[in-house]
Amino acid sequence: MNAPTAQDILPAGRRSSRTAAWFERYVRRHPPVAVGLALLGMMLVIAILAPVLWTVDPSAISATKRTRVPSELNWFGTDMLGRDIYSRVVYGARISLLVGFLVAVLASAIGLAIGLFSGFVRWADGIVMRIVDGMMSIPPVLLAIALMTLTGGTVTNVVIAITIAEIPRVVRLVRGIVLSLREQPYVEAAVACGAGAPRIIAKHILPNTLAPMTVQATYICASAMIVEAILSFIGAGVPPSIPTWGNIMAEGRALWQVRPHIVFFPALFLSLTVLAVNLLGDGLRDSLDPRLAKRI
Amino acid sequence: MKQLYAFIIRRVVSTIPVMAFVALFVFSLLYVAPGDPASIIAGDHATPADIERIRQSLGLDRPYLVRFGEWVMRVLQGDLGNSIFSSVPVAQQIAQRIEPTLSLMIMTLVIAVVVAVPIGVVSAWLAGTWVDRLFVGFAVLGFSIPVFVVGYLLAYVFALQLQWLPVQGYTPLSNGFLPWLRNLILPSLSLGAVYIALIARITRATMLEVLGQDYIRTAEAKGVSRRSILFVHALKNASIPVITVVGVGVALLIGGAVVTESVFAIPGLGRLTLDAVLRRDYPVIQGVILVFSFAYVIVNLIVDIIYTIVDPRIRY
Repeated sequence: MNAPTAQDILPAGRRSSRTAAWFERYVRRHPPVAVGLALLGMMLVIAILAPVLWTVDPSAISATKRTRVPSELNWFGTDMLGRDIYSRVVYGARISLLVGFLVAVLASAIGLAIGLFSGFVRWADGIVMRIVDGMMSIPPVLLAIALMTLTGGTVTNVVIAITIAEIPRVVRLVRGIVLSLREQPYVEAAVACGAGAPRIIAKHILPNTLAPMTVQATYICASAMIVEAILSFIGAGVPPSIPTWGNIMAEGRALWQVRPHIVFFPALFLSLTVLAVNLLGDGLRDSLDPRLAKRI
Repeated sequence: MKQLYAFIIRRVVSTIPVMAFVALFVFSLLYVAPGDPASIIAGDHATPADIERIRQSLGLDRPYLVRFGEWVMRVLQGDLGNSIFSSVPVAQQIAQRIEPTLSLMIMTLVIAVVVAVPIGVVSAWLAGTWVDRLFVGFAVLGFSIPVFVVGYLLAYVFALQLQWLPVQGYTPLSNGFLPWLRNLILPSLSLGAVYIALIARITRATMLEVLGQDYIRTAEAKGVSRRSILFVHALKNASIPVITVVGVGVALLIGGAVVTESVFAIPGLGRLTLDAVLRRDYPVIQGVILVFSFAYVIVNLIVDIIYTIVDPRIRY
């Protein structure tokens, strides 16, 4: 994981007073980023340390302990098979974060490549953009559902399906940036000096794509976690044997009127995680593009 | 005027390649779907020769593009094939389920616009104050809480605890307006949360931009009232991006409808999709995706045409 957490940054910052001062200033100026980082870091720690966080086997069935309400023994209660919901929710953090992170990285990388290609190769632009238009006319959740029904429900397939559904947005963003940069005098000057496409991409296009791409990637991460939960919730995602927040909620659906806690805890964790990523995205957008910050 | 018609015709024509792509995708979905339809129809005791005969009679042995062409011709005549499970025509199933979904979406749209636009306007007017921060905070929350979580939360508070509204179900409009409305309020609010956040955010952003323009200062200088400035001078000009977002956001509504309908047990297209996914009933999945995607394309076509007519500045 490349995303620095609050835990990573704090001790490192204390080592040198200058970075500490910078960090303090940054956090004070962008409190949402600090909250987002802290929440996300907490979820990351929970996901990594899941086995030692007083959890039991999340798949252990117990016929005598079915649908218990939260107690000292089962902090979040048990589900209809007697499984400990606290353990399931803690382990579920792994799948959500994994899917969110992988989809954000993959969709950004592939979208960047296709967007650059489309922006630079004139003859391909029309074809690529028609395909992108076509893909964007299918609502992302439906596209992911369609792809999942074709393949088996595994974590890999969920990542692939959501990535495919998210790529078109990145392609549009990158292509838009390329087309607007090509008109810039300094890029025209570079072309006039005989710079080839690889040099222009490396020196002029990529540095200008980095900021909007980072922001876009955080939003994709948030969206991917929600789509993953929706897929699991409707039974088209990760198989029920793996505890994910969507799966726990799907299993609690039948009982939600009498045992709302089964749905409540995974819902809370999912919402907090997505909120953390969105706060981070908003904060990054504000600090990376001050012009946009004034507007939105 | 002639130019406007030319634009409309060009815009309509431009949807053809998009729709063609959607059709090709949806067709390929069934083409590559696991399971051989011929052997399913033939049953367990069929010999390979039986299966081959059925395959030929269904035309399944013909090339991909030929089958695609035939399928498009059938779809254009309203034939979406039959469900693998119930053998009921898909088009008929979709027609039966359209009313609840359409009601849910229209209701959500109305609630979202009525709630979100004033929030965005007030937020822009009071930009930087605690009221604005509160609204912006709510918008971030709206983006972050998944639709089924909002659904369960609202149902728990307003239906189970307070018992103001029904927990779930759907009453057709033909049974009276009020029962119809009562059943739709909670699902529409849950489905609308993201949509409200989206529209409020764009309204705020474009209002802020418009409020910085010279003609707003002129209006202030000549003593136009605040309310008049906000709602007549500014909102009118800020409405173009808002209308666009309303169109684009329909994708969110379609994805959310699948989930909302299962939380509130509404027998609509979303519920049909869910059941079809669980049974891997490919012709139904195909039909629903086709209908939803075409609806989405057409909504955005209409939105584009509307704002070209509304805003004389847009060149066509």
